[in-house]
Amino acid sequence: MNMYLHELKALRKSAIIWMFVLIALAALYLSIYPSIVNDAEDFKKLLSGYPASVRAMLGINLDYITSILGFYAMIFSFITLCGAIQAMNLGVSILSKESRERTADFLLVKPVSRSAVVSAKLLAAFTTILGTDIVFYVVSSILANSVKTADYNEKLFFMINLTLFFIQLIFLALGVVVSVFFNKLKSVLPISLGIVFGLYMIGALLATGKNDDAVRFISPFKYFDSTYIIKNASYEASYLITGAAIVVVAIVASYIIYNKKDIHAVS
Amino acid sequence: MNVIEIKNLTKQYNKARGIIDVTLNVEQGEVFGFIGPNGAGKSTTIRTLLGLIYPTSGSASIFGKNCIEFPEVRKELGYLPSEVFYYDNMRVIDLLKYSASFYKKDCMKRINELAEIMDLNLKKKIDDLSFGNKKKVGIVQGLLHQPKLIILDEPTSGLDPLMQQRFFELLKEENQKGASVFFSSHILSEVQKMCSRVAFIKDGQIIKLEKISTLHENNFKRISIEAQSGITKDTFDINGVSNFEVKGNTANFIFKGNINSIMKKIAEIELRNISIDEPDLEEIFMHYYTKEG
Repeated sequence: MNMYLHELKALRKSAIIWMFVLIALAALYLSIYPSIVNDAEDFKKLLSGYPASVRAMLGINLDYITSILGFYAMIFSFITLCGAIQAMNLGVSILSKESRERTADFLLVKPVSRSAVVSAKLLAAFTTILGTDIVFYVVSSILANSVKTADYNEKLFFMINLTLFFIQLIFLALGVVVSVFFNKLKSVLPISLGIVFGLYMIGALLATGKNDDAVRFISPFKYFDSTYIIKNASYEASYLITGAAIVVVAIVASYIIYNKKDIHAVS
Repeated sequence: MNVIEIKNLTKQYNKARGIIDVTLNVEQGEVFGFIGPNGAGKSTTIRTLLGLIYPTSGSASIFGKNCIEFPEVRKELGYLPSEVFYYDNMRVIDLLKYSASFYKKDCMKRINELAEIMDLNLKKKIDDLSFGNKKKVGIVQGLLHQPKLIILDEPTSGLDPLMQQRFFELLKEENQKGASVFFSSHILSEVQKMCSRVAFIKDGQIIKLEKISTLHENNFKRISIEAQSGITKDTFDINGVSNFEVKGNTANFIFKGNINSIMKKIAEIELRNISIDEPDLEEIFMHYYTKEG
């Protein structure tokens, strides 16, 4: 419990910053929604002038774009990108920071097992993400309600928001498992940004091609298709399961590797 | 009972040598010195003992249990690493409280006592502390839960002489209360004062394990003499002479043993000059090393 609270406290600042970033991003986009609705036809005409592949890459769906859900779904892809970076940073740094800040000699000679250390840290990271997402959901739904021109399905709005949490969990787990492979990670940002943007670009490129269901497995960003969610009010089970499997495998592997790892002296 | 048991411990790094076949034990209530030059494997031995790194072969245990399988045995362990780093943005007192929270007993009184002895300001941020002051935080952190076994990895570097003295007094007190101390250092004289036994480690191997009392008996002396006429090696062909070097009329060597026997030998020569010094650690090492090799 003491480790969990210590970690939460250490993560507090960055969590608040990320919260603001996500909310600011949502607020920025949602604030232009009223003017888009006003010129709905012109806006659609403008977007239809884009090549279909570009539209697909940006996640623009002409049928829905001027409804608040459709619009929100489009901007949400940027928000999940941000959220993924947050989660990946968190995942990569949470265990490796003990070696980087050279405090491993302090923590790992305490009368606690390494598994207990991993658990406390994972739980703290999980709490941070959950907290960020809850605050983000509350604020974004207030924002959406204040700019809406017609009523929308709140359940669908919640379901779209929930995908942020799913994607963050996946990236958190990926981050942790990546970090335990390194003896000493000098800096977190290049790795986390590299992996997140890499997967995002792959996801965007995949969207331009024939929408093959199989290749969508490559990028977690493509696991939760907002158009599908809006149409069917459900997630695609196969991708949901894949996401869950990635999280479970990555976390289990992290426990095993971290337990077997040599913690080297500072140098 | 042995509080530390290290048996045939070997740690092989990918390319570099770690430690080879290290065997030693520390008895309860003992102050044990672990001496070796930098890079000899002192830290590797300690880190394996603490469960921070995994041995390639052999075993290491404290209180009869392995730290990796039984992390809770570290409850009675205080450890001061050679280089101290803590969560920078915390205040000293917060760090110490966090450390204390792992031991499930009230340590506040002890923290205040220790801070007073070591002259440490608890309100400061760790960020703002000098190296020596961080070391003090490390000392308080290592001792605040009144551990039964104290492991120190080059504890005095960075401390001024006054603080070193206070620190040694502190250790002595803890030892009198029943704590065992395992003390690594590259300075023999530092260890000599306190320890009952010492082990010398070099190039990853224990080359000598000896009682300090024996070390005192076989006093090591570095003797340089300058004679009127040439000196031959045969003149000093007695037990206890090592590292013998002759250059013209001068000779240098290390002597270990009864000082009278060497004095008699020296008295046989017409001297121009003589100096007898305490050899430094490296020379004692060489004494052991050449003998073992």
